[in-house]
Amino acid sequence: MFNQKSSKITPDLIKNRLNDLFIFIIICFVILLVNLWYLQVIKGQDYEQRAINNCIRSLVEEAPRGEIYDRNGKLLITNRPAVNFSVIPAEIDDYHSLAFELSSIIPLEESYIIEKFQQLKKRPFQAQTIKRDIEKEQIVAIEEQKYKFKGTLLTVQPERKYLYQELAAHVLGYVNEISEEELRDSGYSHLSGGDIVGKSGIEKYYDNYLRGEKGNKEVEVDALGREILTLKSREPVAGNDIHLTIDSDLQQYIQNIMLGKKGAVIVSDPKTGKILAMVSQPSFDPNLFTKQISTEQWENIAQSKENLLCNRTIQGIYPPGSIFKLITAIAALEEGIVDLNDSIYCPGYYKLGGLTFKCWKETGHGNQTFIEAISNSCNVFFYTMGQKLGIDKLNHYARMFGLGEETGIDLPGELKGLVPSQEWKTSTFNQVWYPGDTVNLSIGQGYLLTTPFQIHNMLCIIANEGLVYRPFNVEKIVSQSGELIRKYEPEIIREIDISTETFRVVKEGMQKVIEEGTGWNARIEEVTVAGKTGTAQNPQGENHAWFVGFAPFQNPEICVTVFIEHGGDGSQSAATIAGNIIQSYFKKQYDHKVQSEKL
Amino acid sequence: MITKNVASNFRLGQAPIYRSIRLIKHIDYTLLFAILCLCSFGLLVIYSTTHVEVMDAGSLSYVKRQLIFIIAGILLCFLVAIIDYHEIEKFAVPIYLLAIISLAYVILFGRTTGGARRWIEIAGFDFQPSEFAKIALICFLAYFLSRQKEKLSYALYFGLPFMLTGIPMLMIFRQPDLGSSMVFLAILLCMIFVAGFKWKHIIIMFLISMASFPLLWSFLKEYQKNRLILFINPSLDPLGAGYNVIQSKVAIGSGGLFGQGLFSGIQSQLKFLPAQHTDFVFSVIGEEMGFFGVVILLLLYIFVLWKGIKIAQEAPDFLGTFLATGVIAFLFFHIFINIGMAMGLMPATGLPLSFISYGGTFMISNFIGIGILFSVHLRSIFV
Repeated sequence: MFNQKSSKITPDLIKNRLNDLFIFIIICFVILLVNLWYLQVIKGQDYEQRAINNCIRSLVEEAPRGEIYDRNGKLLITNRPAVNFSVIPAEIDDYHSLAFELSSIIPLEESYIIEKFQQLKKRPFQAQTIKRDIEKEQIVAIEEQKYKFKGTLLTVQPERKYLYQELAAHVLGYVNEISEEELRDSGYSHLSGGDIVGKSGIEKYYDNYLRGEKGNKEVEVDALGREILTLKSREPVAGNDIHLTIDSDLQQYIQNIMLGKKGAVIVSDPKTGKILAMVSQPSFDPNLFTKQISTEQWENIAQSKENLLCNRTIQGIYPPGSIFKLITAIAALEEGIVDLNDSIYCPGYYKLGGLTFKCWKETGHGNQTFIEAISNSCNVFFYTMGQKLGIDKLNHYARMFGLGEETGIDLPGELKGLVPSQEWKTSTFNQVWYPGDTVNLSIGQGYLLTTPFQIHNMLCIIANEGLVYRPFNVEKIVSQSGELIRKYEPEIIREIDISTETFRVVKEGMQKVIEEGTGWNARIEEVTVAGKTGTAQNPQGENHAWFVGFAPFQNPEICVTVFIEHGGDGSQSAATIAGNIIQSYFKKQYDHKVQSEKL
Repeated sequence: MITKNVASNFRLGQAPIYRSIRLIKHIDYTLLFAILCLCSFGLLVIYSTTHVEVMDAGSLSYVKRQLIFIIAGILLCFLVAIIDYHEIEKFAVPIYLLAIISLAYVILFGRTTGGARRWIEIAGFDFQPSEFAKIALICFLAYFLSRQKEKLSYALYFGLPFMLTGIPMLMIFRQPDLGSSMVFLAILLCMIFVAGFKWKHIIIMFLISMASFPLLWSFLKEYQKNRLILFINPSLDPLGAGYNVIQSKVAIGSGGLFGQGLFSGIQSQLKFLPAQHTDFVFSVIGEEMGFFGVVILLLLYIFVLWKGIKIAQEAPDFLGTFLATGVIAFLFFHIFINIGMAMGLMPATGLPLSFISYGGTFMISNFIGIGILFSVHLRSIFV
């Protein structure tokens, strides 16, 4: 049928075809118009009613954050149902009267509520929280006067529950509503105002794993706010659970000992980098943040008092005092400027130019060998060493052991501290480095500032004889279905180039510290401890007390750092506490052994 | 119908610049005016739907960018109008091949949005080759239909256009962009219809195309299958894709006779409507301007299409007629399917509304189409 030549095509035919095409187009348009007439004019009233009255509400369903467990599987953080008071801005006629009514039930300033309304108006149809976690009596009062609260609703959302209140609060962190600055941060780009995020500690560092995914629901509601139809819904996805390396019993034990003191304690396994306990005192109760007193207010309170929110282990910077003598000692051995058999005479003071530097023992230590000097923490011996080494060498060795930079622990907000150098002093004070500065530095005084965790890290490196493990708090992350999302293995991040012999000698000195030197308070029956005390002078007041130690001496299983702010002599309070901690740890190990043997 | 007069170009004048000025003077300004009215509709609605986000994203940027697209479109439109459309005879095949290559490029390297590869980036601009391909197809088919008739057997003359349209169509279908590939078919059908093919044959070919649908179905992505199923029975799923259509119908319906007024459409201002400034822009017009506003809009469209038909009928030769026909088909199907989609008469295939929806490539391809109409029109004046 296709073999005829199409000779019949003429301009007239084409003209007619175009007319037909136009008629077709007109018919199509008429169909559209008839439909529009039907939709807009005949059914228009209905649809308008539907648009106005049968409002569609968009409800957010918050995802429960992942739970957090300690190393023994003990649950530390979970979620509880809380009632939130939310508003749908588009459904509210009179903000001011609503704010007035609300402020009589919930203790919030009227002006604060109105200000909040203004922010929420941007998303008029979205139910948004004005006040999280309201009290039972408040719920009853609102329900009783429901007619006054048009355009509001009470929703049940998961709220964080910290089961042991102040336990490990600084490590765990707390959560609160995302702030304006955080919203501008690209890391939170997919979040919106009102979302709950981790603000510190594990809650913040592992926020992406813990947070989960919000669900949402679009529902059609009638004039009374009852749901008629669910249009769209997406279930929230709960966040992943985190298992910590922290031993909550040990943590609790230490927090009990430290009660009423200010300071920091860290216990970790030097052979893996796993942190067993990390205490910063005074502590706080993260549950308080769920009661929304507004973040700013709370932070003001917390900061004005004793700097509650500051995690002293990684955010407090202090002079390390005599603990630093370990670095000076290692440097002296490595540089070959000391002979183990020689001794230096300590008359109780050290003269340099016109200056006199005192030893802590005013009567002097007499003749001190290298080991004795560590054991007795003789200042004069280390002044001499420092003077021989010079600032550049001291700086070099301090940095080798990670001082002056972050340790890389999996917690946010770690501070670097300060290891002074000649260049640093010139650029900061426009002054040259004096020999006296070196003398001060050699015993951990002067400009030197460290966090307790840096000192702890240094201790672990010594215990490990040069291996640097990544310190970490999180063992593994597990999804709600039990799937292993991530497992953190011990990881050697670097190895320090210092001879084993040097470490052996220094460790021997540290053992002598406990046996016959300044650290005898940390001596316990169960196991041989090695350590070092420190008493750091500081401009703020009484001396800070330090103690670092590891045990057993031959094959270290734990490293302990105790720091007590204005705690006086390190050989007293700090060493005693460390002794108790080590004892408690090994007792528990022993009990475990006995128990498992019985089984 | 006036046959081509080779001498026509000589009468226009001497230097190209004078010729251009003379041509521009004779452009059909009522048609251009109607189109600018449509563009203004678009700008108003885009402003209305995006101004709330001033604080968040800078709503003016949408309006500003759209304005830049319109201005660029007008300039290109004038440029195309000045060029004699007979030049297409030289370029039809290269343009067609270029379109195929760019579509292949998209499939291989294009940027993916919403599960579909449609975009490529050129000099910092995102560019949708499928829009360009529509114009390329119009030029190519017009050239083919007007020039190959005498050389080929009827079977080839009739069958080749289907094959040559099928290639880019399938490539776009694979992106997947169901709506645009339907536009290809629509352009082809309109053009061969106007080219005088027998009704019988057109219907048979159309049926064959439809019969191949089950084969094409296997190419479809899950969400497209859902869309088509939902079109056939929207009540199946009021939660998911059907939600858009329900919201759109509520929006249009609530507009009533006179509309809720600009900036005060309940549905649109509250962001219930999806893709308000692009695919569902008509719903916003319906809600905020009401039946009267929509009637004015449709009348403008009818006027533009009627002008196009006139130009096609008065064209100096078949090439001009077919070119104009292609442009009419292109504009018309976008308008009809988009509005039909907003009212729930058509599947939600995601075709933008001509001269109104926000979008650069589409706006510019629309104006090029109008430029082609002008070019044909001008050659019919200067015989």
